[in-house]
Amino acid sequence: MSSMILPSASFETRSEIAGATCALSYTLDVPTIIQSVNDGAGANVHFIGTTRNSFQGKVVTRLEYQAYSKLAIKTMAEIVGTAFENFKPIRCAVHHRLGTVPVGEPSIVVAVSAPHRKEAFRACEFILEEVKRKAQIWKRGKLDIILSYSI
Amino acid sequence: KTSPTITMLYFAAASTSIGLTSEQVTLPLGQSQTESPEHREAELKFPLSSLPSLLLSLHPTALNLKQILDTSQWSVNVEMVDSDDMDKIELKGGEEVAVICPVSGG
Repeated sequence: MSSMILPSASFETRSEIAGATCALSYTLDVPTIIQSVNDGAGANVHFIGTTRNSFQGKVVTRLEYQAYSKLAIKTMAEIVGTAFENFKPIRCAVHHRLGTVPVGEPSIVVAVSAPHRKEAFRACEFILEEVKRKAQIWKRGKLDIILSYSI
Repeated sequence: KTSPTITMLYFAAASTSIGLTSEQVTLPLGQSQTESPEHREAELKFPLSSLPSLLLSLHPTALNLKQILDTSQWSVNVEMVDSDDMDKIELKGGEEVAVICPVSGG
């Protein structure tokens, strides 16, 4: 399998605006991210997406993520801004990993704190779904072991 | 007199197909000596809708590139372009344009 050319436009970056943190980084410190939204607000919801070990019947050992970082971080910040308008959380954080992510490790973390659990769950889900739908980030699976199982 | 260029950025399937993550692309803008100011002005802009075929002509052996470009969105100067606005966005040189293949983050 050909090696992936890494775009120079895919780099670590971060946006912090009034209680909303968005980041693209090569590592994810999950406990720190979770703690970063803890404001004694009452309800804290976290989503951690980890890389799956199979794709279409083939074994995947790692995924590689790249982003158009300047645009992806803008998109993520807009999404979080909309989450604040719609659900009024206290703090939100969305961190997406770049580069190689071995199977089972987190590729995305969304953390939200809010006074009540309904807003916290809804804001977290909204941010996750919108980031998946719109953020300019791409993944590529490394199929190191080619085993396919016919369905 | 140098021709205006744009910076193209490629990711994912587009970069695999073309074999590049970025390149400078010269815009085929008119260089005629026409007297008419309207004609001259029109020749100085290149609609974004014309860019896919320009890229295909620059990379004739890129595998599946037409299909990739047909199913991609575009951004100009770090802003997504609505598909309906492809004709209305006009490039004159200096822009940063990216091919945005279907995203797969999260």
